Amino acid sequence: MNKPNFMYNMRKFILLFTVSLISFAASAQDFPFGEVSQEEMDMQKYDKDTSAHALVLNEHGRARISETSSEDVNLIFEHHIRIKFFDDKEFERYGTFDIPIYSSDGLVYEKLVDVKAVTYYRDDAGNLQKADLDPKKIFRVEQDKHHTLVKFAMPALRKGCIIEIKYEIESPYYWNHFHSWMFQDYLPKLNSQFEAIIPGFWNYNASLRGYLKLTDSKATIDRECFTYHGAKSDCSHLTFTMKDVPAFVREEYMTSPNNYLSGVYWQLAEFTNLRTGAKEKYSKDWKDLDRELKEQYWFGGQLKRKEMLKDRVTPVIAGKTDSLAKAKAVYTFIQKSFKWNERANDGSVDGIKKALDAHTGDAGDINLALVNALTSAGIPAEAVLVSTRENGSINKLYPTINDFDYVIARTSIGGKVYLLDATDPMLPFGMLPLRCLNDQGRVFNVDKPSYWMDMNTAQRAKTTYNIELTLGDDGKLKGNIIRYSSSYSGYLRRKEIKKYNSLDEYVDHLSSDMPGTKILKSDIVNVDSLDMPVGETYQVEMNAYDGMNHDRFGFNPFIIGKLKTNPFKLARRDYPVDMGIPSEERYIVTVHLPAQYTIDNPPQGQAFAMASQGGRFITDFQNDGSTFTFSYVTQINSSVFGTDEYNSLKELFNRIVTAEKTQLEFKKK
Amino acid sequence: MMRRILLFLLLIAGIRVSAQNNYAASLIPGDLLPYASAVVRSEEITTDVKEPDNVTYHVKRIITVLNKNGDDKTNLNVFYDNLISVKYIKGFIYNEFGKVDRKISERDFDDEAVSDGFSLFQDDRVKHYSRAVTSYPYTVEIEYELKVKQTLNFAPWEPQYETNVAVEKSVYSFLCKPDFNIRYKEFNLPAKGTVSTNKDGEKVYSWTAQNLKARRDEPWSPFEDQYMIKLMVAPEKFYYDKHSGSFTNWQQLGKWEYDDLLKSRADVPEETVQYIKNLTADITDPKLKAKKIYEYMQQKTHYISVQVGIGGFQPFLASDVDKQGYGDCKALVNYTRSLLKVAGIDSWYCVVWGDHEEKKSMLGNFASMQGNHIILCLPFKNDTTWLECTAQHLPFGFLGDFTDDRTVLACTPNGGKLMRTPKYDAKDNLIKRDAAFVLNDAGELSGDIESAFKGLEYDDRESMIAKAQTERLKDIKRYYPINNIDIKKLDYKQDKSLDPVTYENIKLTAQEYGAVNGSKFYFPLNSIDRVSLGLHQVRNRVNPVYIPHGYTEQDKITYTLPQGYVLDSEPLNIAIDKPFGNFTVTMKMKGSELIYDRKFQLKDGTFNKEVYDDLLDFYDKVRAADNATVALVKK
Repeated sequence: MNKPNFMYNMRKFILLFTVSLISFAASAQDFPFGEVSQEEMDMQKYDKDTSAHALVLNEHGRARISETSSEDVNLIFEHHIRIKFFDDKEFERYGTFDIPIYSSDGLVYEKLVDVKAVTYYRDDAGNLQKADLDPKKIFRVEQDKHHTLVKFAMPALRKGCIIEIKYEIESPYYWNHFHSWMFQDYLPKLNSQFEAIIPGFWNYNASLRGYLKLTDSKATIDRECFTYHGAKSDCSHLTFTMKDVPAFVREEYMTSPNNYLSGVYWQLAEFTNLRTGAKEKYSKDWKDLDRELKEQYWFGGQLKRKEMLKDRVTPVIAGKTDSLAKAKAVYTFIQKSFKWNERANDGSVDGIKKALDAHTGDAGDINLALVNALTSAGIPAEAVLVSTRENGSINKLYPTINDFDYVIARTSIGGKVYLLDATDPMLPFGMLPLRCLNDQGRVFNVDKPSYWMDMNTAQRAKTTYNIELTLGDDGKLKGNIIRYSSSYSGYLRRKEIKKYNSLDEYVDHLSSDMPGTKILKSDIVNVDSLDMPVGETYQVEMNAYDGMNHDRFGFNPFIIGKLKTNPFKLARRDYPVDMGIPSEERYIVTVHLPAQYTIDNPPQGQAFAMASQGGRFITDFQNDGSTFTFSYVTQINSSVFGTDEYNSLKELFNRIVTAEKTQLEFKKK
Repeated sequence: MMRRILLFLLLIAGIRVSAQNNYAASLIPGDLLPYASAVVRSEEITTDVKEPDNVTYHVKRIITVLNKNGDDKTNLNVFYDNLISVKYIKGFIYNEFGKVDRKISERDFDDEAVSDGFSLFQDDRVKHYSRAVTSYPYTVEIEYELKVKQTLNFAPWEPQYETNVAVEKSVYSFLCKPDFNIRYKEFNLPAKGTVSTNKDGEKVYSWTAQNLKARRDEPWSPFEDQYMIKLMVAPEKFYYDKHSGSFTNWQQLGKWEYDDLLKSRADVPEETVQYIKNLTADITDPKLKAKKIYEYMQQKTHYISVQVGIGGFQPFLASDVDKQGYGDCKALVNYTRSLLKVAGIDSWYCVVWGDHEEKKSMLGNFASMQGNHIILCLPFKNDTTWLECTAQHLPFGFLGDFTDDRTVLACTPNGGKLMRTPKYDAKDNLIKRDAAFVLNDAGELSGDIESAFKGLEYDDRESMIAKAQTERLKDIKRYYPINNIDIKKLDYKQDKSLDPVTYENIKLTAQEYGAVNGSKFYFPLNSIDRVSLGLHQVRNRVNPVYIPHGYTEQDKITYTLPQGYVLDSEPLNIAIDKPFGNFTVTMKMKGSELIYDRKFQLKDGTFNKEVYDDLLDFYDKVRAADNATVALVKK
């Protein structure tokens, strides 16, 4: 990150913004500190959401780029919030504050200044009292060299109290991110207002996220509001207001809440080069970004020298002639060279060589090392910038690299495209972990323009079960359960198996999934052959019935892998269902009965398909005298389902859960 | 002269040994490999008390990691705080064959704040080695030294603290001046310690553990003191953060805590004194007075933990809690004690091991700084009452499973006193359900469930009560896994008397609860209370079976069957009685009603390890019965 150089001769610029400009309009103001009304103190509940335990009465934020006394340019963010507690249920979450303070280098820190915090409460006699936060009770926790948390607990919290907090943070980090603002939180808000004051030297694009609409937005010009070394500039003064903001309610099967929470985000578009006075684009189109990425040490700097890792990969590919074999060897080498530190990143801050020596790194270190290792082995490879599911969706309104938080490798061999992530040694060549399967990725090549590609690849999770059981005269069901887990299911199964020190321990733990079933012998294959399905064969014995002195027996053919309850329970869903990966499950169970028994209630086969062809569930039953076969197939063909498909998806799962209740009756002839 | 030669010989021997020191993984004895993901090859831990405020803690450990599950067992974390400073850290990483792969130095360690996840602030920090090794097996040699500025508590020696770690050899030594007296307590040690005097005239206590096979994490195990090797050391005279004292028994330790840490912390502001006096003026029964004060304290305060220096043992001033309205367990107990004193009620500050899973007690015959939580004891005549002061919602006199049925240390003006907290019996921890459902011929279920939670189960629904109704409606589905459940009504009531009860009332419907197949109609017999425990088999179990808390479930469901159908299943009648629990189910028809009665009871206690298979079998049978389907047929 470079800072612009300032000069004394500056031209004045007006920030352009998509909302119309109203000159000289009265600017918005923060609400006064230290005054609470009788009405606010007496408030018993929030009528628009009577279930709320607390309510944000008012909230105001103001971010401005400004000169400081030490002649630096800083981003100054003021936050002022007033919260009403109806009872004590939210004291823990909203009665203590953690304000993060960041430093990129461990030397220059953001500064928290001027913390004012008061609790208004009624004392034992019912009189209104104020309790100020004792400055001695503000704690600083240096988490590591980049992150410090300033923490405090509000004093004298009681049911019905109101707290008010105001503080300011001076930050040297304003360059490509202006301060974002979240209008929505897990508490409802009466009013949330944000002001952005941006001198004409910088032009940021703003984008709004979430499902809620602004109540009001305004833009005015503050004349000569910014001074630097005597030179002055006008500022664009933007005010966004959202009133009656409902609390955000988390739902299952969603990606990051950041995708859905209403907020405003910024991206630097252009700035004034203060040395020349000329306006310069910061990031206008992908061509600029490509060039910039190429120049960055943490990204292009790790890829440009395509044979940087040649001495390391030469022994790895020795003796291999075809490209695919070489690529696989390089992939395995990088997988085995690193232990992922569980952090996402889209670049290698200290460089891939250093990371390789330390044998540890984030996703940026590992996968850029992979791209370079591939090119060093003579296999053309590209880096793909992606945004993980946790990070959220990508803003495609204008080009920006700020939304990415992860990078993977892409190579094409013999006309086939392979996407590679070496962070997990259990991933087979060409498979991506779920976290990467989000929206689109931007393919970056040091020699060619970048382009978008879809991240939901042809990957599937596939499991098949083949079960054969014989009911003996002792009332025991004996036989084999065979499970094959392929593709993504194979990966998940391997991860599960490797959690244990030995296969024995894995098998012991498996028994908790199959209550009533004793595993007598087990055979598990291909745990380390990543390209093959994991095969598990279990010789089992089920103590199904205590002896055979009954005329009829009930039998549920769903022995393993039951869903049990429908994961979709909501009446209506506001967000898409994001499962990440399509899946397929095939199940077949064959049971041999003693000659004197027969099936009393052969079930009808059934078939259900979603209207959109997004999924289906089919069952079948075949009866041949004393032997019968029950089978089912579940297919989920899409990874993301829109809100309009929700009911159909819910119905599909309903069918599955209902079928799982199938009770077959064996009856004496 | 003689001594010099000997020393020289020793030096040579030392050099020879280190040159031959082979950490090759292949040298690990085969019988230490089962269930091990790492093996401690050798460990030497030395505590050297130089002065009461100057202790050197030295660790040298060589550990071989066999697979990736062993990475976390290398313990490359060095913890410190205001009273501990790190003098140095150094070491090596060796490859599979015992050859040096790289050197470890202190600058490879990241320095981070430690968070226990609930404290607002604590002064603990850790130096953490973040570089990794990716080929197995590998061996780590680490050596570090800490300067500890206190002698009140010493880190225990636990050579096999981690599961899935085998130990070739671990040696613990405790060095001190001849006049520094200690007491120690050995747990499950294969051999007694030795005492000798070294050349500097220091006393040297030493313990050794060798060839320990890896232990596994076995479900339902008793607490570690009962099977793990451990050594605890306590001082006689000690120094801690500008405080000092001496003790050899609980009476003296409790006396010191009372006199030095508590006595002067009890003043409350005059307004509060007056308020408490007025609040309790009309009440004569001291127990009811105490209840009033406890409830006042609950609505005025909440739990926030701040731990710094002696603050780890000494409560905030009562006046501080009065002003801030918050505190940790020590502060809130001390504040409550101070308020009670204003009303003339004596109460004792009690140190306890708080744990939901294990009833861990203060060691009866070994006084030392133990425990992790504080509760309050009210020694009324013939009626000892206990208070948990950190939970704003618990009824007066209710401890819950965090501190019940264990030995605690009461710090009284006359000194320490070991006391026992009350026990909740399996029959008192009761969930009682009454449900009445109607099934129609389309398979729809509708009806009510009324539940009561008593004893330890009283706070089972506490998290639900804290939630907004919209969240409750979503979350209640986790407790009742009924497909298509639609909650029409849900409410809670709590009776906060001395015998507290939580009531839950639900009105619900569920479509397709019953499935129609030709002339048959099937439905699950029990969807409101099923065992959900997923126990897995443990081959070659070592530990006894420990059940910390028992409980009882008693359910009655009445189904009104759809018209025109009669029962087609055999009625379910089960009765199982085991030493650790019992289960009975009956199913009866009464007109068009099917009545289902179920009783499940688990009893607390310790049982021999063979009982584990019995327990699995018991749960399998209960689960099968809980999952029973009823078949009806059209008349």
